[in-house]
Amino acid sequence: MKVACLLIPDFAVAVARRDHPETRGRPLIVAAAGEDAPRVRACCPQAVRSGVSEGMVLRRALSLCPKAAVVPADERALAETAAALRTLAERHSPAVEEAAPGHLHLDVRGLAQLAGLADEAYLADLQRAASAASGLPVSIGAGPGVFAAHAAAAAASAEHAGKTGAPPPVLVPEEGVAEFLAPLPVEVLPLPTAMHQRLRLLGIERLGQLAALPRSAVAAQFGPAGARAWDLAAGKDTSTVVPRRPERTAGAAMELPAPASTAEQLLAATSALLQQALEAPALRGAAWRRCTWRLELESGEAVVRVVTFREPTSDGERMLFVLRQKIARLTLPSPGVRLSLKLSGLCGEYGHQAVLWPSGPRRRRELLEAAEQLSARYGEPQIFRVVEVEPWSRIPERQLALVAFGR
Amino acid sequence: MVEDSGTAAGAGGLRPLNTPIPTAVDATPSGVPRAVLRRGKLVPVARIIDRWRIDDEWWRAPIVRRYFLVELRDGHQLTLFHDAVHDAWYRQPYPAPVERVQRRGA
Repeated sequence: MKVACLLIPDFAVAVARRDHPETRGRPLIVAAAGEDAPRVRACCPQAVRSGVSEGMVLRRALSLCPKAAVVPADERALAETAAALRTLAERHSPAVEEAAPGHLHLDVRGLAQLAGLADEAYLADLQRAASAASGLPVSIGAGPGVFAAHAAAAAASAEHAGKTGAPPPVLVPEEGVAEFLAPLPVEVLPLPTAMHQRLRLLGIERLGQLAALPRSAVAAQFGPAGARAWDLAAGKDTSTVVPRRPERTAGAAMELPAPASTAEQLLAATSALLQQALEAPALRGAAWRRCTWRLELESGEAVVRVVTFREPTSDGERMLFVLRQKIARLTLPSPGVRLSLKLSGLCGEYGHQAVLWPSGPRRRRELLEAAEQLSARYGEPQIFRVVEVEPWSRIPERQLALVAFGR
Repeated sequence: MVEDSGTAAGAGGLRPLNTPIPTAVDATPSGVPRAVLRRGKLVPVARIIDRWRIDDEWWRAPIVRRYFLVELRDGHQLTLFHDAVHDAWYRQPYPAPVERVQRRGA
Protein backbone atom coordinates (compact mmCIF):
# COMPACT_ATOMS: atom_id res chain seq x y z
CA MET A 1 0.00 0.00 0.00
CA LYS A 2 1.63 3.18 -1.19
CA VAL A 3 -1.17 5.64 -1.90
CA ALA A 4 -4.56 6.18 -0.30
CA CYS A 5 -7.45 8.14 -1.78
CA LEU A 6 -10.07 9.93 0.30
CA LEU A 7 -13.12 10.66 -1.79
CA ILE A 8 -16.42 12.33 -1.11
CA PRO A 9 -18.34 11.70 -4.33
CA ASP A 10 -20.39 14.70 -5.57
CA PHE A 11 -18.79 16.84 -2.90
CA ALA A 12 -21.03 19.92 -3.28
CA VAL A 13 -24.14 17.74 -3.21
CA ALA A 14 -22.91 15.80 -0.17
CA VAL A 15 -22.25 19.03 1.74
CA ALA A 16 -25.67 20.39 0.78
CA ARG A 17 -27.35 17.15 1.91
CA ARG A 18 -25.50 17.34 5.22
CA ASP A 19 -26.56 20.95 5.81
CA HIS A 20 -30.13 20.45 4.52
CA PRO A 21 -31.30 17.08 5.84
CA GLU A 22 -34.85 17.93 4.78
CA THR A 23 -33.84 17.22 1.16
CA ARG A 24 -33.29 13.50 1.87
CA GLY A 25 -35.18 11.24 -0.52
CA ARG A 26 -35.48 13.91 -3.21
CA PRO A 27 -33.23 14.71 -6.16
CA LEU A 28 -30.98 17.64 -5.26
CA ILE A 29 -29.69 20.54 -7.30
CA VAL A 30 -27.12 22.95 -5.86
CA ALA A 31 -27.59 26.31 -7.55
CA ALA A 32 -25.28 29.28 -7.87
CA ALA A 33 -25.73 32.75 -9.33
CA GLY A 34 -24.74 32.84 -13.01
CA GLU A 35 -23.94 35.86 -15.16
CA ASP A 36 -27.49 36.17 -16.42
CA ALA A 37 -29.55 33.62 -14.50
CA PRO A 38 -29.07 31.10 -11.67
CA ARG A 39 -27.32 27.99 -12.88
CA VAL A 40 -26.70 24.44 -11.68
CA ARG A 41 -23.48 24.29 -9.67
CA ALA A 42 -23.80 20.57 -8.92
CA CYS A 43 -26.50 17.92 -8.92
CA CYS A 44 -27.06 14.42 -7.58
CA PRO A 45 -26.87 11.32 -9.83
CA GLN A 46 -30.69 11.07 -9.86
CA ALA A 47 -30.94 14.57 -11.35
CA VAL A 48 -28.21 13.68 -13.87
CA ARG A 49 -30.31 10.73 -15.01
CA SER A 50 -33.18 13.17 -15.63
CA GLY A 51 -30.93 15.15 -17.98
CA VAL A 52 -29.69 17.85 -15.62
CA SER A 53 -26.04 18.83 -16.02
CA GLU A 54 -23.63 21.26 -14.39
CA GLY A 55 -23.81 24.80 -15.75
CA MET A 56 -27.39 24.39 -16.97
CA VAL A 57 -29.79 27.29 -16.37
CA LEU A 58 -31.77 26.45 -13.23
CA ARG A 59 -35.15 27.02 -14.86
CA ARG A 60 -34.38 24.43 -17.53
CA ALA A 61 -33.00 22.01 -14.92
CA LEU A 62 -36.22 22.25 -12.93
CA SER A 63 -38.30 21.61 -16.03
CA LEU A 64 -36.31 18.40 -16.58
CA CYS A 65 -36.41 17.33 -12.94
CA PRO A 66 -39.44 19.06 -11.36
CA LYS A 67 -39.26 17.10 -8.09
CA ALA A 68 -35.73 18.27 -7.33
CA ALA A 69 -34.98 20.25 -4.19
CA VAL A 70 -32.90 23.34 -4.92
CA VAL A 71 -30.31 24.52 -2.43
CA PRO A 72 -28.08 27.58 -2.89
CA ALA A 73 -24.36 26.77 -2.96
CA ASP A 74 -22.76 27.59 0.38
CA GLU A 75 -19.21 28.36 -0.74
CA ARG A 76 -18.06 28.95 2.82
CA ALA A 77 -19.32 25.56 4.00
CA LEU A 78 -17.71 23.90 0.98
CA ALA A 79 -14.37 25.59 1.64
CA GLU A 80 -14.47 24.82 5.36
CA THR A 81 -15.33 21.14 4.80
CA ALA A 82 -12.60 20.75 2.18
CA ALA A 83 -10.11 22.48 4.49
CA ALA A 84 -11.09 20.24 7.45
CA LEU A 85 -10.53 17.14 5.34
CA ARG A 86 -7.22 18.51 4.01
CA THR A 87 -5.98 19.36 7.50
CA LEU A 88 -6.82 15.89 8.73
CA ALA A 89 -5.06 14.28 5.76
CA GLU A 90 -1.98 16.44 6.34
CA ARG A 91 -1.90 15.24 9.95
CA HIS A 92 -1.88 11.64 8.72
CA SER A 93 0.57 11.86 5.82
CA PRO A 94 3.60 14.01 4.95
CA ALA A 95 2.51 14.24 1.29
CA VAL A 96 -1.09 15.12 0.45
CA GLU A 97 -2.39 16.10 -2.95
CA GLU A 98 -5.80 17.71 -3.31
CA ALA A 99 -7.14 16.59 -6.69
CA ALA A 100 -10.38 18.52 -6.04
CA PRO A 101 -12.32 19.65 -2.97
CA GLY A 102 -13.23 16.47 -1.11
CA HIS A 103 -10.86 14.35 -3.18
CA LEU A 104 -7.40 13.79 -1.72
CA HIS A 105 -4.47 11.50 -2.46
CA LEU A 106 -2.14 10.63 0.41
CA ASP A 107 1.27 9.06 0.29
CA VAL A 108 0.94 6.37 2.98
CA ARG A 109 4.08 4.33 2.40
CA GLY A 110 5.15 2.74 5.67
CA LEU A 111 2.61 4.67 7.77
CA ALA A 112 0.57 1.61 8.78
CA GLN A 113 3.74 -0.14 10.00
CA LEU A 114 4.75 3.01 11.82
CA ALA A 115 1.40 3.02 13.61
CA GLY A 116 1.75 -0.71 14.34
CA LEU A 117 -1.43 -1.52 12.40
CA ALA A 118 -2.38 -3.77 9.54
CA ASP A 119 -3.12 -1.90 6.30
CA GLU A 120 -6.87 -2.50 6.58
CA ALA A 121 -6.99 -1.30 10.19
CA TYR A 122 -4.99 1.80 9.30
CA LEU A 123 -7.38 2.64 6.47
CA ALA A 124 -10.42 2.08 8.69
CA ASP A 125 -8.91 4.39 11.29
CA LEU A 126 -8.19 7.03 8.65
CA GLN A 127 -11.72 6.73 7.31
CA ARG A 128 -13.29 7.18 10.75
CA ALA A 129 -11.20 10.28 11.36
CA ALA A 130 -12.02 11.74 7.91
CA SER A 131 -15.72 11.11 8.32
CA ALA A 132 -15.66 12.73 11.76
CA ALA A 133 -13.72 15.76 10.47
CA SER A 134 -16.01 16.38 7.51
CA GLY A 135 -19.31 15.14 8.92
CA LEU A 136 -19.75 13.17 5.69
CA PRO A 137 -19.30 9.54 4.69
CA VAL A 138 -15.84 9.34 3.13
CA SER A 139 -14.91 6.58 0.68
CA ILE A 140 -11.39 5.34 0.98
CA GLY A 141 -9.28 3.23 -1.34
CA ALA A 142 -5.61 2.33 -1.34
CA GLY A 143 -3.22 0.70 -3.74
CA PRO A 144 0.25 0.69 -5.17
CA GLY A 145 -0.40 3.78 -7.34
CA VAL A 146 -2.44 6.96 -7.43
CA PHE A 147 -4.94 5.71 -10.01
CA ALA A 148 -5.39 2.32 -8.35
CA ALA A 149 -6.17 4.06 -5.04
CA HIS A 150 -8.56 6.47 -6.74
CA ALA A 151 -10.31 3.66 -8.61
CA ALA A 152 -10.62 1.69 -5.37
CA ALA A 153 -12.25 4.64 -3.60
CA ALA A 154 -14.58 5.26 -6.55
CA ALA A 155 -15.50 1.55 -6.67
CA ALA A 156 -16.15 1.49 -2.93
CA SER A 157 -18.41 4.51 -3.27
CA ALA A 158 -20.28 3.11 -6.30
CA GLU A 159 -20.92 -0.24 -4.58
CA HIS A 160 -22.25 1.56 -1.53
CA ALA A 161 -24.55 3.94 -3.45
CA GLY A 162 -27.96 4.32 -1.87
CA LYS A 163 -26.83 2.98 1.51
CA THR A 164 -26.12 5.05 4.59
CA GLY A 165 -22.76 5.48 6.27
CA ALA A 166 -19.33 5.13 4.75
CA PRO A 167 -18.43 2.20 2.51
CA PRO A 168 -15.74 -0.18 3.82
CA PRO A 169 -12.20 0.68 2.64
CA VAL A 170 -10.95 -1.09 -0.48
CA LEU A 171 -7.31 -2.14 -0.69
CA VAL A 172 -5.85 -3.09 -4.08
CA PRO A 173 -2.98 -5.60 -3.79
CA GLU A 174 0.24 -4.74 -5.58
CA GLU A 175 0.21 -7.80 -7.86
CA GLY A 176 -3.48 -7.64 -8.82
CA VAL A 177 -3.98 -4.09 -10.07
CA ALA A 178 -5.01 -4.94 -13.65
CA GLU A 179 -7.41 -7.63 -12.42
CA PHE A 180 -8.99 -5.22 -9.94
CA LEU A 181 -9.38 -2.48 -12.55
CA ALA A 182 -10.76 -4.69 -15.33
CA PRO A 183 -14.45 -4.77 -14.25
CA LEU A 184 -14.61 -1.04 -13.33
CA PRO A 185 -16.55 1.37 -15.56
CA VAL A 186 -14.58 3.73 -17.81
CA GLU A 187 -15.97 6.69 -15.84
CA VAL A 188 -13.31 6.17 -13.16
CA LEU A 189 -10.68 7.30 -15.66
CA PRO A 190 -9.67 10.93 -15.08
CA LEU A 191 -10.86 12.06 -18.51
CA PRO A 192 -13.34 14.62 -19.82
CA THR A 193 -16.98 13.48 -19.85
CA ALA A 194 -17.00 13.70 -23.66
CA MET A 195 -14.29 11.05 -23.85
CA HIS A 196 -16.17 8.76 -21.47
CA GLN A 197 -19.16 9.10 -23.78
CA ARG A 198 -17.04 8.37 -26.87
CA LEU A 199 -15.65 5.23 -25.22
CA ARG A 200 -19.18 4.04 -24.45
CA LEU A 201 -20.31 4.81 -28.00
CA LEU A 202 -17.53 2.51 -29.21
CA GLY A 203 -18.81 -0.21 -26.88
CA ILE A 204 -15.96 0.17 -24.40
CA GLU A 205 -17.65 0.22 -21.01
CA ARG A 206 -15.11 -1.42 -18.70
CA LEU A 207 -11.41 -0.79 -18.13
CA GLY A 208 -10.65 -4.40 -19.01
CA GLN A 209 -12.13 -3.87 -22.50
CA LEU A 210 -9.96 -0.80 -22.96
CA ALA A 211 -6.81 -2.57 -21.77
CA ALA A 212 -7.51 -5.49 -24.15
CA LEU A 213 -7.20 -3.18 -27.16
CA PRO A 214 -3.80 -2.44 -28.72
CA ARG A 215 -2.33 0.68 -27.10
CA SER A 216 -1.43 2.13 -30.49
CA ALA A 217 -5.04 1.82 -31.69
CA VAL A 218 -6.36 3.69 -28.61
CA ALA A 219 -3.68 6.35 -29.04
CA ALA A 220 -4.57 6.73 -32.72
CA GLN A 221 -8.26 7.18 -31.89
CA PHE A 222 -7.98 9.41 -28.81
CA GLY A 223 -4.51 10.93 -28.98
CA PRO A 224 -2.20 11.28 -25.95
CA ALA A 225 -5.19 11.23 -23.56
CA GLY A 226 -6.15 7.84 -24.98
CA ALA A 227 -2.64 6.47 -24.53
CA ARG A 228 -2.65 7.67 -20.93
CA ALA A 229 -6.11 6.14 -20.37
CA TRP A 230 -4.86 2.81 -21.77
CA ASP A 231 -1.84 2.88 -19.45
CA LEU A 232 -4.05 3.51 -16.44
CA ALA A 233 -6.56 0.83 -17.45
CA ALA A 234 -3.71 -1.68 -17.87
CA GLY A 235 -2.43 -0.86 -14.38
CA LYS A 236 0.61 1.06 -15.63
CA ASP A 237 0.54 4.17 -13.50
CA THR A 238 3.75 6.09 -12.90
CA SER A 239 2.16 9.18 -11.36
CA THR A 240 3.06 10.13 -7.82
CA VAL A 241 1.40 12.17 -5.11
CA VAL A 242 2.34 15.80 -5.69
CA PRO A 243 1.85 17.63 -2.40
CA ARG A 244 0.71 21.23 -2.41
CA ARG A 245 3.26 23.75 -1.33
CA PRO A 246 1.97 25.80 1.55
CA GLU A 247 1.95 29.49 0.79
CA ARG A 248 4.51 31.48 2.72
CA THR A 249 3.11 34.52 4.41
CA ALA A 250 4.24 37.12 6.89
CA GLY A 251 1.93 38.90 9.23
CA ALA A 252 1.52 40.88 12.38
CA ALA A 253 -1.37 41.86 14.61
CA MET A 254 -1.99 44.26 17.47
CA GLU A 255 -4.67 45.29 19.91
CA LEU A 256 -5.11 49.01 19.35
CA PRO A 257 -4.14 50.94 22.51
CA ALA A 258 -7.41 52.86 22.28
CA PRO A 259 -10.44 52.32 20.04
CA ALA A 260 -9.48 53.95 16.76
CA SER A 261 -11.77 55.56 14.24
CA THR A 262 -9.59 58.14 12.47
CA ALA A 263 -7.42 57.42 9.45
CA GLU A 264 -4.34 58.84 11.24
CA GLN A 265 -4.60 56.35 14.11
CA LEU A 266 -5.12 53.46 11.72
CA LEU A 267 -2.23 54.56 9.51
CA ALA A 268 0.14 54.78 12.47
CA ALA A 269 -0.85 51.27 13.57
CA THR A 270 -0.57 49.95 9.99
CA SER A 271 2.90 51.44 9.66
CA ALA A 272 4.02 49.74 12.88
CA LEU A 273 2.58 46.40 11.77
CA LEU A 274 4.21 46.63 8.35
CA GLN A 275 7.56 47.24 9.97
CA GLN A 276 7.02 44.28 12.29
CA ALA A 277 5.94 41.96 9.45
CA LEU A 278 8.81 42.94 7.18
CA GLU A 279 11.40 42.40 9.89
CA ALA A 280 10.67 38.67 10.31
CA PRO A 281 14.24 37.30 10.14
CA ALA A 282 13.48 34.37 7.81
CA LEU A 283 11.80 36.56 5.21
CA ARG A 284 13.70 39.82 5.50
CA GLY A 285 14.16 41.45 2.12
CA ALA A 286 11.49 39.29 0.48
CA ALA A 287 9.12 40.99 -1.95
CA TRP A 288 5.37 40.59 -1.55
CA ARG A 289 2.57 40.94 -4.00
CA ARG A 290 -0.48 41.14 -1.76
CA CYS A 291 -1.47 42.59 1.58
CA THR A 292 -4.61 41.65 3.50
CA TRP A 293 -5.53 44.35 5.99
CA ARG A 294 -8.11 43.43 8.63
CA LEU A 295 -9.63 45.68 11.23
CA GLU A 296 -11.87 44.19 13.89
CA LEU A 297 -14.45 46.61 15.19
CA GLU A 298 -15.89 47.13 18.64
CA SER A 299 -19.24 45.92 17.30
CA GLY A 300 -17.74 42.51 16.48
CA GLU A 301 -17.69 43.07 12.71
CA ALA A 302 -14.51 43.12 10.69
CA VAL A 303 -13.40 45.32 7.80
CA VAL A 304 -11.08 43.57 5.37
CA ARG A 305 -9.20 45.16 2.50
CA VAL A 306 -7.03 43.15 0.14
CA VAL A 307 -4.47 45.17 -1.77
CA THR A 308 -2.54 43.74 -4.69
CA PHE A 309 0.55 45.77 -5.48
CA ARG A 310 1.22 46.64 -9.07
CA GLU A 311 4.71 45.24 -8.61
CA PRO A 312 5.97 42.97 -5.83
CA THR A 313 7.71 45.05 -3.22
CA SER A 314 9.70 44.75 -0.02
CA ASP A 315 9.41 48.45 0.71
CA GLY A 316 7.18 49.20 3.68
CA GLU A 317 6.81 52.83 2.62
CA ARG A 318 5.44 51.83 -0.76
CA MET A 319 3.02 49.38 0.84
CA LEU A 320 1.85 52.05 3.24
CA PHE A 321 1.36 54.48 0.35
CA VAL A 322 -1.03 52.05 -1.35
CA LEU A 323 -2.82 51.14 1.88
CA ARG A 324 -3.18 54.81 2.84
CA GLN A 325 -5.61 55.39 -0.01
CA LYS A 326 -7.80 52.47 1.10
CA ILE A 327 -7.71 53.47 4.75
CA ALA A 328 -8.49 57.13 4.05
CA ARG A 329 -11.68 56.15 2.21
CA LEU A 330 -13.00 53.97 5.07
CA THR A 331 -16.20 54.88 6.86
CA LEU A 332 -16.34 52.82 10.03
CA PRO A 333 -19.66 51.98 11.72
CA SER A 334 -17.83 51.65 15.06
CA PRO A 335 -14.24 52.13 16.27
CA GLY A 336 -11.59 49.52 15.51
CA VAL A 337 -10.06 47.55 18.38
CA ARG A 338 -7.74 45.08 16.72
CA LEU A 339 -5.69 45.39 13.56
CA SER A 340 -3.88 42.66 11.67
CA LEU A 341 -2.21 42.38 8.31
CA LYS A 342 -0.92 39.52 6.26
CA LEU A 343 1.55 39.73 3.40
CA SER A 344 1.29 37.01 0.77
CA GLY A 345 2.38 36.29 -2.79
CA LEU A 346 6.06 35.92 -1.98
CA CYS A 347 8.19 36.40 -5.09
CA GLY A 348 11.26 38.16 -6.42
CA GLU A 349 11.34 41.91 -6.73
CA TYR A 350 11.36 43.29 -10.26
CA GLY A 351 14.65 44.71 -11.39
CA HIS A 352 14.68 48.25 -12.69
CA GLN A 353 17.24 49.70 -15.04
CA ALA A 354 18.29 52.96 -13.51
CA VAL A 355 19.20 55.87 -15.76
CA LEU A 356 22.62 57.28 -15.08
CA TRP A 357 21.99 60.88 -16.08
CA PRO A 358 18.29 61.53 -16.34
CA SER A 359 18.38 65.29 -16.03
CA GLY A 360 21.14 66.79 -18.10
CA PRO A 361 24.64 68.13 -17.47
CA ARG A 362 24.16 68.96 -13.82
CA ARG A 363 23.33 65.38 -12.96
CA ARG A 364 26.31 64.21 -15.04
CA ARG A 365 28.64 66.57 -13.16
CA GLU A 366 27.37 65.14 -9.86
CA LEU A 367 27.96 61.62 -11.06
CA LEU A 368 31.48 62.42 -12.27
CA GLU A 369 32.25 64.00 -8.94
CA ALA A 370 30.90 60.93 -7.09
CA ALA A 371 33.00 58.64 -9.31
CA GLU A 372 36.09 60.74 -8.61
CA GLN A 373 35.43 60.56 -4.87
CA LEU A 374 35.16 56.76 -5.05
CA SER A 375 38.38 56.57 -7.04
CA ALA A 376 40.14 58.77 -4.46
CA ARG A 377 38.81 56.70 -1.59
CA TYR A 378 39.80 53.27 -2.95
CA GLY A 379 42.88 54.34 -4.91
CA GLU A 380 41.54 53.10 -8.26
CA PRO A 381 38.41 53.59 -10.36
CA GLN A 382 35.31 51.83 -9.08
CA ILE A 383 32.80 52.68 -11.80
CA PHE A 384 33.30 51.67 -15.40
CA ARG A 385 31.47 51.80 -18.64
CA VAL A 386 31.54 49.29 -21.46
CA VAL A 387 33.03 50.49 -24.73
CA GLU A 388 33.31 48.78 -28.08
CA VAL A 389 36.96 48.38 -29.00
CA GLU A 390 37.02 46.12 -32.05
CA PRO A 391 33.41 45.01 -32.54
CA TRP A 392 34.35 43.42 -35.82
CA SER A 393 37.06 41.22 -34.29
CA ARG A 394 36.76 37.47 -34.42
CA ILE A 395 38.58 37.29 -31.10
CA PRO A 396 35.87 37.69 -28.45
CA GLU A 397 38.02 39.38 -25.83
CA ARG A 398 38.98 42.14 -28.26
CA GLN A 399 35.44 43.31 -28.97
CA LEU A 400 34.49 45.04 -25.71
CA ALA A 401 36.36 46.59 -22.84
CA LEU A 402 35.73 48.47 -19.62
CA VAL A 403 36.94 52.00 -19.28
CA ALA A 404 36.87 54.04 -16.10
CA PHE A 405 33.75 56.21 -15.94
CA GLY A 406 34.50 59.87 -16.54
CA ARG A 407 37.67 59.37 -18.58
CA MET B 1 45.77 32.90 -26.46
CA VAL B 2 46.33 36.55 -27.36
CA GLU B 3 49.77 37.69 -26.30
CA ASP B 4 50.03 40.43 -23.72
CA SER B 5 50.67 43.59 -25.65
CA GLY B 6 52.64 45.07 -22.81
CA THR B 7 50.59 48.26 -22.73
CA ALA B 8 49.35 49.55 -19.43
CA ALA B 9 46.10 47.85 -18.64
CA GLY B 10 44.06 47.74 -15.47
CA ALA B 11 42.51 50.56 -13.63
CA GLY B 12 43.85 53.40 -15.69
CA GLY B 13 43.39 51.89 -19.15
CA LEU B 14 41.08 49.50 -20.89
CA ARG B 15 40.07 46.30 -19.21
CA PRO B 16 39.18 43.67 -21.79
CA LEU B 17 35.90 41.91 -21.23
CA ASN B 18 35.25 38.25 -21.81
CA THR B 19 38.84 37.13 -21.49
CA PRO B 20 39.42 33.35 -21.87
CA ILE B 21 39.52 31.38 -18.65
CA PRO B 22 42.08 28.54 -18.47
CA THR B 23 40.25 25.25 -18.11
CA ALA B 24 41.33 21.65 -17.60
CA VAL B 25 39.96 19.55 -20.43
CA ASP B 26 40.38 15.87 -21.19
CA ALA B 27 40.51 15.59 -24.98
CA THR B 28 40.69 12.77 -27.47
CA PRO B 29 43.93 12.30 -29.44
CA SER B 30 42.27 14.18 -32.28
CA GLY B 31 41.68 17.19 -30.02
CA VAL B 32 37.95 16.83 -29.29
CA PRO B 33 36.94 17.50 -25.67
CA ARG B 34 35.84 14.42 -23.73
CA ALA B 35 35.41 15.82 -20.23
CA VAL B 36 35.79 19.18 -18.50
CA LEU B 37 36.89 19.93 -14.95
CA ARG B 38 34.09 21.90 -13.27
CA ARG B 39 34.16 22.72 -9.57
CA GLY B 40 36.76 20.06 -8.90
CA LYS B 41 34.90 17.32 -10.79
CA LEU B 42 35.57 15.93 -14.20
CA VAL B 43 32.23 16.20 -16.01
CA PRO B 44 31.91 14.18 -19.22
CA VAL B 45 30.86 15.92 -22.44
CA ALA B 46 27.42 14.63 -23.48
CA ARG B 47 27.51 16.09 -26.98
CA ILE B 48 29.20 18.66 -29.13
CA ILE B 49 26.63 21.12 -30.36
CA ASP B 50 28.84 23.11 -32.67
CA ARG B 51 32.47 23.59 -33.59
CA TRP B 52 34.37 26.19 -35.55
CA ARG B 53 37.91 27.42 -36.03
CA ILE B 54 39.62 30.79 -35.96
CA ASP B 55 42.92 31.45 -37.71
CA ASP B 56 43.97 35.05 -37.42
CA GLU B 57 46.93 37.40 -37.35
CA TRP B 58 49.16 34.86 -39.07
CA TRP B 59 51.31 37.76 -40.20
CA ARG B 60 52.52 38.54 -36.65
CA ALA B 61 51.61 36.40 -33.58
CA PRO B 62 49.36 33.75 -35.06
CA ILE B 63 46.09 32.94 -33.30
CA VAL B 64 44.81 29.44 -33.96
CA ARG B 65 41.77 28.34 -31.98
CA ARG B 66 39.39 25.44 -32.33
CA TYR B 67 36.13 26.30 -30.63
CA PHE B 68 33.63 23.74 -29.33
CA LEU B 69 30.16 24.52 -28.06
CA VAL B 70 29.55 21.52 -25.80
CA GLU B 71 26.81 20.20 -23.58
CA LEU B 72 28.02 18.47 -20.45
CA ARG B 73 26.36 15.46 -18.94
CA ASP B 74 25.05 17.64 -16.08
CA GLY B 75 23.16 19.74 -18.62
CA HIS B 76 25.43 22.80 -18.70
CA GLN B 77 26.56 24.29 -21.98
CA LEU B 78 30.05 25.68 -22.36
CA THR B 79 32.07 27.20 -25.15
CA LEU B 80 35.61 25.84 -25.02
CA PHE B 81 38.54 26.44 -27.29
CA HIS B 82 41.88 24.82 -27.78
CA ASP B 83 44.70 27.25 -28.39
CA ALA B 84 46.79 25.33 -30.91
CA VAL B 85 49.74 27.74 -30.59
CA HIS B 86 50.18 27.25 -26.86
CA ASP B 87 48.45 23.86 -26.63
CA ALA B 88 46.10 24.96 -23.88
CA TRP B 89 42.36 24.83 -23.24
CA TYR B 90 40.17 27.78 -22.28
CA ARG B 91 36.51 28.56 -21.95
CA GLN B 92 34.85 31.71 -23.11
CA PRO B 93 31.21 32.50 -22.33
CA TYR B 94 30.06 32.92 -25.92
CA PRO B 95 31.33 32.75 -29.45
CA ALA B 96 32.26 35.93 -31.20
CA PRO B 97 29.24 37.85 -32.52
CA VAL B 98 30.80 37.95 -35.95
CA GLU B 99 31.06 34.18 -35.89
CA ARG B 100 27.47 33.85 -34.82
CA VAL B 101 26.29 36.10 -37.63
CA GLN B 102 28.33 34.19 -40.17
CA ARG B 103 27.07 30.82 -39.01
CA ARG B 104 23.47 32.00 -38.93
CA GLY B 105 23.78 33.23 -42.48
CA ALA B 106 25.48 30.02 -43.64
